[in-house]
Amino acid sequence: MQNNRWGLPDLGLGVGLRTTHYAHILSEKPDIGFFEILTENYLDTGGRPLFMLDQIAERYPTVMHGVSMSIGSTDPINFEYLAKVRALAERTGSLWVSDHICWTGVLGRNTHDLLPLPYTEESLAHSVERIKVIQDFLERPLVLENPSTYLEFADDDMKEWEFVARLAEEADCGLLFDVNNVYVSAYNHGYDPVAYIDAIPADRVCQYHLAGHTNKGTHIIDTHSDHVVDPVWELFGHTIRTVGLRATLLEWDADIPPFEVVHQEVLKAGDWRRQEVANVA
Amino acid sequence: MSLDRPELARLQHWMQEVVAHPGTIEEAIESDGAEQKIPSERLSDVVLPSHSMTSAERVGVYHGMYLMRMEEALETDYPVIRYHLGDRQFSHLVREYVQRYPSTSYTLNRLGDHLPQFFLDEPQWHDAAFLHDLARLELAMTEVFDEEESPVLGSEELEAVPPDAWEEARLRPIPALRLLAFKHAVIPNLVAYHEDRPSPGPRRRATWVVLYRRDYSVLRLELSRAEYDLLKAIVEGAPLGEALATAAASKSQRQQAKVFRWFRTWISEGLFTAIES
Repeated sequence: MQNNRWGLPDLGLGVGLRTTHYAHILSEKPDIGFFEILTENYLDTGGRPLFMLDQIAERYPTVMHGVSMSIGSTDPINFEYLAKVRALAERTGSLWVSDHICWTGVLGRNTHDLLPLPYTEESLAHSVERIKVIQDFLERPLVLENPSTYLEFADDDMKEWEFVARLAEEADCGLLFDVNNVYVSAYNHGYDPVAYIDAIPADRVCQYHLAGHTNKGTHIIDTHSDHVVDPVWELFGHTIRTVGLRATLLEWDADIPPFEVVHQEVLKAGDWRRQEVANVA
Repeated sequence: MSLDRPELARLQHWMQEVVAHPGTIEEAIESDGAEQKIPSERLSDVVLPSHSMTSAERVGVYHGMYLMRMEEALETDYPVIRYHLGDRQFSHLVREYVQRYPSTSYTLNRLGDHLPQFFLDEPQWHDAAFLHDLARLELAMTEVFDEEESPVLGSEELEAVPPDAWEEARLRPIPALRLLAFKHAVIPNLVAYHEDRPSPGPRRRATWVVLYRRDYSVLRLELSRAEYDLLKAIVEGAPLGEALATAAASKSQRQQAKVFRWFRTWISEGLFTAIES
């Protein structure tokens, strides 16, 4: 088992911080390794969200996860946004900042969706250059997540896993490896998820994501609205064997249940972690 | 790269055009804006079909999620308008609104900033003037929710002002304060929403309200016209002597007592952050 090249800590098990859970977290102080915050929810507020976040960040390690960095967009980089991201990272002491391998808009607009990049040499070179600039500006490791995708471009030069691996190596950035996203994209595009996992450079992986999804029959949507399905747990086990132990986070963003339910779900990841460690020993 | 292969920028411009189009996925792919970038008959040369979906259906997944996401964001900020309009009309409103005012920010929290203006732009919208007022109320509530936190003016600071300095003293409002005047009775609609009662709908009645935040909750005080005028003068920086003299112009003891009562309420509710004498 390897560690990541930056020596970023394995924070254990974490959950995404959601407003409906603020009161429970502050009153019950659950035993949890870390919280991941949705970056954009805290950038332009001086009210209750920031007040709650400050209290939670005092008690727990936090990491930041954004959706608007748009690293593959052909629009100019938004440095005003990045300055706010950097300031929030300093305020919360976030150990790393993550976003997605995608683009979200062009021509000054934002669709607020994680739109797919073509896996071409052009797109790779473009994204790598932007990641280098962004990473320098943020002055901390930038960690990028493999996306869930619902289409494939005909002109792709490489498979998604090759694009992700080369992007991380050439831009010298970290990876947030979302196991559910691999399952979703593999189902949608008909490839082997294990081949994807085996191709990921282990020393660049800083964090894992797990989540539930919605199977529409013809395709799967990454809804973060349910429990993690068994095949994704199996892939998680394979990922731990291949990559190693990393900070592991459960995302639950729609039909959000009480905190205890989310907590119980991420504790299952703890069982998988212990089992894989025992097997290695 | 061959001429047939769309470069990254063209591909992204095309995809955004399709995803954000208000019609069906077929209409989106065949729209003028999309056709100029990638002709619809070439779709399968750009997006592969899957074992179970056509190229158009696959792009349609993103297209379908766009308006849903916009609607979720706007119903968070405008629950009373949604309650008044009902689901179907609200969806129609969102579709029209994001065509005119698409998101240009990294955050969806500010997507609805132009909704009051939208109802001025679109006076043919049923009850547009009422909806304009309701949108102003709900927008102001989101602004107050997100404003910077600030200390509240305490009684010690007030008592420390020398008697001869009161005339020229100015009160600085907390940032999380909005003073609003409406042509319609908007508050009964807000109350009906919170109490899950039928929306009373549009009724013309001049209404004055101050929204403010205390202990991270958004609160409101309904005001009379005279209260509104006095508070507005103070908030805009008028010296206290001048503002109070105008408000208590009749100089009757009753009027002066009333002004004193208003003033005491505003101080105790924490509407001010400092006094500058």
